[in-house]
Amino acid sequence: MIEVKKVNKSFTLFNQNNAKITVFKNLNFEVNPGEIVALKGPSGIGKSSILKMIYGSYIIDKGAIIINNKNIATLSAQEILKLRKTSIGYVSQFLKVIPRISALDVIMEPLLNSGDNKNNAYKKSIKLLKDLNIEKNLWHLSPLTFSGGEQQRINIARGFIKDLPYLLLDEPTASLDSRNRDIIINLIKAKSNRGVSIIGIFHDEYSRKKLNVREIDLNIETKH
Amino acid sequence: MIIPLLNVTNLSKSYDNIVGCKNISMSLYPGEVLGIVGESGSGKTTLINCLSGNLEPDRGKIIFNINNKETDFLNISESEKRKFIRTDLAFVHQNPRDGLRLNVSAGGNIGEKLMSVGYRHYGNIRSLATKWINKVEIDKSRIDDLPITFSGGMLQRLQIAKNLITSPNVIFMDEPTGGLDVSVQARVLDLIRSLVNELNLTVIIVSHDLAVIRLLADKMIVMKNGTVIESGLSDQVLEDPQQEYTQLLVSSVLHV
Repeated sequence: MIEVKKVNKSFTLFNQNNAKITVFKNLNFEVNPGEIVALKGPSGIGKSSILKMIYGSYIIDKGAIIINNKNIATLSAQEILKLRKTSIGYVSQFLKVIPRISALDVIMEPLLNSGDNKNNAYKKSIKLLKDLNIEKNLWHLSPLTFSGGEQQRINIARGFIKDLPYLLLDEPTASLDSRNRDIIINLIKAKSNRGVSIIGIFHDEYSRKKLNVREIDLNIETKH
Repeated sequence: MIIPLLNVTNLSKSYDNIVGCKNISMSLYPGEVLGIVGESGSGKTTLINCLSGNLEPDRGKIIFNINNKETDFLNISESEKRKFIRTDLAFVHQNPRDGLRLNVSAGGNIGEKLMSVGYRHYGNIRSLATKWINKVEIDKSRIDDLPITFSGGMLQRLQIAKNLITSPNVIFMDEPTGGLDVSVQARVLDLIRSLVNELNLTVIIVSHDLAVIRLLADKMIVMKNGTVIESGLSDQVLEDPQQEYTQLLVSSVLHV
């Protein structure tokens, strides 16, 4: 379960006349195992910020985010690294990888980093590449040369390759055609059926409906 | 509870009246990659020179804990220190010419390093050297060539091989991709990254290139005027910087 309790977040932009932007005050919600929660609200309201706070890449100003009985707000850097490795998958909006590394290696990396053997990691990755409908002649090329939709699917593959209890998805179905969108929706459903707690940002009504999400409307939840 | 591999407390070093680095405290755990960023003159190189034994700090504590053996780095004899540096630490210089002997063959450069930690059997040295030349993607037919015949990228990869072949416990890298063409940089970055993953290396890397830090480092510290002004997970410091200077640094990066 993920619990977000009384969370405040603001940004101070020192180089822009110390402008202070308050994103949330007193944000509360929780996500149960097997549940898919969709964050809803206009662009700029802080949907991605929530995912980043849960993942530990944004500082939590006030309040607590509890995962595995641990409060992200008070964990040290190495504790967060460990928690990410064992528990949290995160699919960012854009793929960030070193040029030259093949799509297959990008996907295998999280498995190899947590000590899985090469053969096993290879088999799992190939299966996922096939499931995601990535053409075989692309497997050994750097994903930086791929189309937006293909990059997106490689990014998803890397986030989905491990069996982790929590998944954070930042627009996983954006820039995909309808066929590939359905493939991703089915993969997300399968994760949810296995008890994974999922928080996502889905730009389209279609994905939200198909995934049977519980919506959290940030316009209502956050009092500015 | 995992014990840090390296624990630094209140480390300071001045050059006469000029501050090199001041009151630096930090820790590093096994298998972590720590990035150090900051403008020229901020004390990055002074700090890693102190940690790697190239410079004697004025004050502070440096404790290494390797295989449950604690080494109080600033309070051991000179001979123990030399031995520790030889067997447990490695230093990859920005300019590979500083870390290699150019009038000794590529294989010789690597072989020397092995001999310094006790290898004596020529056949073993040769086969290990060949394996590493291959690992850093240099054609093994070049093993007997002099490094002066190598390109900049090859020299850097040779220097990396020379440093890693003895399985050191902490590797220091000072701008390892700094002097290279952009196209060559990516290759060296990729090589470092895959070796870090494969061998579970613990690395401290200095770079002014935030993209290098983002791709390689788990944690990072930001230095200014000799002090650490911000530290944390690399993605956190880069995406949600809390200090004015770090915000300036991050917002100054050009995107192509």
